[in-house]
Amino acid sequence: MYKISITLNGEPQDFFAEEKESLLDLLRERARLTGCKRGCDSGQCGACTVLLDGMPVNSCCYLALQADGKSVVTIEGLSTQPDADLIKQAFIEEGAIQCGFCTPGMVLAAKSLLDRNNAPHTNHIREAMAGNLCRCTGYTRIEKAIKNAAAQIRKREGEL
Amino acid sequence: MTRNFDMVSRDHARLESRAKTEGKALYTDDLSLPRMAWAVVVRSPFAAAEVTGIDFSESEKIPGYLGALLPEEVPDIYYNCSGNPPSPLIMEDERILTTTPKCAGDRIVAVAAETKEAALESARAVKVNYAIKKPIFKIREAFDANNLPIEAHLSDSNVLFARQVTEGDIEKGFKHADLILEDNFYVPPVQHLPLELTACICDFSDGMNLTIWSNSQTIFQERRILSVLCGIPENRVRVIKPTVGGGFGARQQTHAQPVCALLSKKVRRPLKLIYSREEEQYATTVRHEAETQVRIGAANNGTLCAFYAKYVLNTGPYTTHGPTVMAAAARKFQYKVPDYFFDGFCVLTNHVTAGAFRGYGNTQIAFAREVMIERVAEHLGTDSLELRIKNHVGVGEHFPGSTTPITSCQIEQCVTLCEKRRREIDDAKGLIENNETKQAWGVAFACHGSGPSSKEGLSAAVVMLNDDGSIQLLVGSADIGQGSETMLAQIAAETLGITLEAVNIIAADTGLTPYDTGTFGSSQTFICGNAVLAACRDLLDGMVKNLNRIYETSSFAFREQVFTGNSGKLSFQEAAEKIFFHTAGGVTIGSASYKARSCPNPFAVTFAKAEYHKKTNAVRILHVIESVDVGTPINPLTVKGQIEGGVAQGVGYALMEMIEIDPLMKKPLSSDLLHYKAPLFGDIPEIDVFIAKSYEADGPYGAKSVGELVTVPVAPAIVNAVRKASGQNITSLPLCKQFLVLPSTQEEE
Repeated sequence: MYKISITLNGEPQDFFAEEKESLLDLLRERARLTGCKRGCDSGQCGACTVLLDGMPVNSCCYLALQADGKSVVTIEGLSTQPDADLIKQAFIEEGAIQCGFCTPGMVLAAKSLLDRNNAPHTNHIREAMAGNLCRCTGYTRIEKAIKNAAAQIRKREGEL
Repeated sequence: MTRNFDMVSRDHARLESRAKTEGKALYTDDLSLPRMAWAVVVRSPFAAAEVTGIDFSESEKIPGYLGALLPEEVPDIYYNCSGNPPSPLIMEDERILTTTPKCAGDRIVAVAAETKEAALESARAVKVNYAIKKPIFKIREAFDANNLPIEAHLSDSNVLFARQVTEGDIEKGFKHADLILEDNFYVPPVQHLPLELTACICDFSDGMNLTIWSNSQTIFQERRILSVLCGIPENRVRVIKPTVGGGFGARQQTHAQPVCALLSKKVRRPLKLIYSREEEQYATTVRHEAETQVRIGAANNGTLCAFYAKYVLNTGPYTTHGPTVMAAAARKFQYKVPDYFFDGFCVLTNHVTAGAFRGYGNTQIAFAREVMIERVAEHLGTDSLELRIKNHVGVGEHFPGSTTPITSCQIEQCVTLCEKRRREIDDAKGLIENNETKQAWGVAFACHGSGPSSKEGLSAAVVMLNDDGSIQLLVGSADIGQGSETMLAQIAAETLGITLEAVNIIAADTGLTPYDTGTFGSSQTFICGNAVLAACRDLLDGMVKNLNRIYETSSFAFREQVFTGNSGKLSFQEAAEKIFFHTAGGVTIGSASYKARSCPNPFAVTFAKAEYHKKTNAVRILHVIESVDVGTPINPLTVKGQIEGGVAQGVGYALMEMIEIDPLMKKPLSSDLLHYKAPLFGDIPEIDVFIAKSYEADGPYGAKSVGELVTVPVAPAIVNAVRKASGQNITSLPLCKQFLVLPSTQEEE
């Protein structure tokens, strides 16, 4: 067991973690943040996406020990970030949520994209979201939700 | 006819969507119980073998190891994991644990340990010795009498079940045809791929009462199966469905629940069992591999006169849904032909076990049929849309092989909606044809049922009135992500004249909610929706009786959302308060059950636009338009979401999805999401969806079903487009075996 310090959803927290323990296991089993979903445990579906220093990572393929000293944002803590509620609201209104299992990862990946680019074209969205699998929606409404959120962010920033 | 609704036929975001965006929706793996430990199943790596020895000595050394369940410790009975109600077609051949594995992934033993890691390590440390046998995988091998029968107690050959459905005289039909076309079609097995893994928590630690939390589409069938396997009455089995991360038929079978329950009893601890993605890929169930031989006869004037289909489904080593999936395909032929012959077979092999999957036998045969109809139109030199419409079954007529008349059908409106959008796209973008590239449109029609076509759908609802005029709505039906809870709440709100916020729905808990056959056969809107409608009317009757008693009158009636009597008018909320707190009042509960009286057919038309690159033999799917007649869409927002999701699954089916057998290892190769390709963001073409104006008199507020229908026409429409663009004959899926498939992502305009 090793002691690590993470800024988890804005709060500095200490954890003890095993060498082989994934960040996903730490978040789900130790921090009890179950919004982070396990879909494949091998970095192929994106359901476990979290933001690590603002960038999306598959937490199932990231060692907990590697997160030492870093900032981790999960879906539970996203609301503390600017524009997060606006993105979530866009997902709800566009009907971009069906079973919801991919939703936390999708919302976090979308948040990271919009932080970097507040006017993403279709291909930007498709590229940024390529690692997030959804089996219910056909992605079309997720794409619409991201464009809708982007428009609102630009409006808020006075660019429209 | 214009109908005015307040709560139905209106867009509503799913009731639970905010919780889902905040990570607060609880799925099975998110739950835990005091003293809960973990279970893992040890599975056969061989598709056909005999277990010759099991050694736990290394597992016993692992810290946290709690014990194991062995094949000799489980009841010596066959069962069927299908979540259909009992039927002679649901034959029993599966064991909880087996010493004679018949497919890779068959359950041999299960181990329990304190932690997930210890359980996985214990499972890896179990030494199982096998005598390997020669497996068969191919449909033709199942027809080879030299191969031993896989389920000898059911059938002395590997042809498990055959069903013929006929109308007219097929020989005569072909004799009179001016044109006869015949071909053979193949589709591989494919995975549902719900994002959530198969999961259950079983608490049978006292050996008396079993409580299961599982991602089930059919909680009451799961209760029935577990009651039999655990030897306790149904009232001591409680199955609770937490939030479910997608089903598509995958959750219409019990998977690990029986073994987890019995191991929980043995180690006297609640146990959690979550599949790995590899287990999910081939140790659950898949859509049946199918070979279809089609012969179609037509007159020169474009009238179809005869249709013959030999339809063979590979169900793997276990029956599960096989015979019913095969038989369901017999009555999905939506064109008038006087002479019709459906010759169906369900065969056993050591391939991956097949089961229920969105479309339920319709998907495979619709591919063959719609491609053949396109060829007939080409041979006759007629427009294929006109040919389909000319021959389409209309209201009052029936499908070949069936006697039930069609009660509503707006297929022509669906065509008009698609055509309008196609023209807009062509006006904007044109259809490219040059030395390098050719673009073309393809079309396909489809139909389905609303509820199981056997009319075995049964549901019930209980509506409990609260004193503030809100209600508790109790239904057994399982929302697996499709949005049925929101849809049912809308029906209740519409009937009672209250807001959606005043409805609290409690669903899918066998300990609390009334019986429901299950979430399958696209039945939630039609079957459970009708039950909710009737239960709400029963509640209104009860409220009227109470008001009459309170006001000593017989004059009350509920009209235009108000209770009106001689002594005045009361709103729903005022009436509720009066009924609860008046000395002559009481508790008012409405209830009703609904047994399917009909199975109205919804219809769909799909257009697909494909682009063929001549130099590279590559295809790109640019656009899919789908229009549906689903009667009244109770929640158009979720109906459109269903259509788009169905299109995406159809795109995957057409282009890239297949469970492959490794010829050397003789087991499935498609064991993860790198070897099994499902559509990602960039694989999805532009999608436009439309809902025709339609009304089904038997449905709640005119509604029919949507869930399964929408995926059925997608693959044949794509194939018909690729045929035209490439000029190549196509008889099998997925297209990535014949073409280089390009992502749909296009240049920005």
